[in-house]
Amino acid sequence: MADDISYRYAFGTYQDALQMVGARTPPRVAGTAVSGARIQHFAALVRDGNPAYWDPDFATLVWGGLVGPPALLMGWLIPQPWVPDGVRPAAGIAIRVPLPGRTFVNASNEAEFLIPVVEGDRLSVVEEVVSVSPEKTTKLGVGHFIQTLDTFMRDDGTVVALNRNTLFRFNPTEAAGGG
Amino acid sequence: MADDTGDTGFRRLDWHTLTVPVDLPEIVDEISYERVVMNAGATWDYFPGHFDPEYAKRQGHPTIFVNTMHLAGFVDRIATDWAGPYSRVVRRKIALAGSIYAGDTMIGRGKVIGKRCNSSGSKPQYLVDLEIGVSNQRGELCCPAELTIEILED
Repeated sequence: MADDISYRYAFGTYQDALQMVGARTPPRVAGTAVSGARIQHFAALVRDGNPAYWDPDFATLVWGGLVGPPALLMGWLIPQPWVPDGVRPAAGIAIRVPLPGRTFVNASNEAEFLIPVVEGDRLSVVEEVVSVSPEKTTKLGVGHFIQTLDTFMRDDGTVVALNRNTLFRFNPTEAAGGG
Repeated sequence: MADDTGDTGFRRLDWHTLTVPVDLPEIVDEISYERVVMNAGATWDYFPGHFDPEYAKRQGHPTIFVNTMHLAGFVDRIATDWAGPYSRVVRRKIALAGSIYAGDTMIGRGKVIGKRCNSSGSKPQYLVDLEIGVSNQRGELCCPAELTIEILED
């Protein structure tokens, strides 16, 4: 289980981590375009009956196509957990920051949706490490907060969304009193 | 507010007659194990904390929990269910203060705290600012959120 394809961590010290602040990935392109099937499965998960997700006529008239739920933004760029050529897809840049923590939990997220994403859009993302905090102790354990900025683009280069995420990369406190 | 349903038959919120503040209808959603697993499948987020209870327990959690995208989707739904399908989320800020675990109930509450018109672009953008909170069945606030939605004009 620990050799999960998308969740292989880089390990190192806080000093190692600071070397990665400011690092930006080259654009990474989604394996497939935004699709009605994924739009509707996510809407079904959230129990969201918004016709922007379900009614192609309405969605096309008002938004230019079935709308990719804003909350699914990050999901369009998550690689498949298995690919036929065996090349392991890269993990998100945040967990490739070398640090001691063996696990993580998301702390906060701020996103701006400049232009609606619609069915057929092929998205790409550039990820950047904005900051790494000094060591902090929380109720979950001891670790570091990592801030990243993801810039999402269509294949015509138009920026459609910006996503600022902060996650806590940590080692759990052994006697954790529950989440 | 004098909402009209226009030519598509769907409700359109009238931004101009909207008075602030407004409390949004509460939304309750029970999160079964099926939903948490569906969350991993729908978002392609196979972090083991979202499908493997043993892994989650080793990390100090009681069991598997929903991811940020699921919480964000619920927050968005609270706003757009109220505002109708001529609205869209243009900004969302959330904090992950606590986790929603399989077996928990999510309770979403929201309030309109402001409205403003952004005239910096080529045409005016009619915006509504909201505060939304997602709590669990014990009344613990797991996900406080600030949201801005845009309302399309006729």
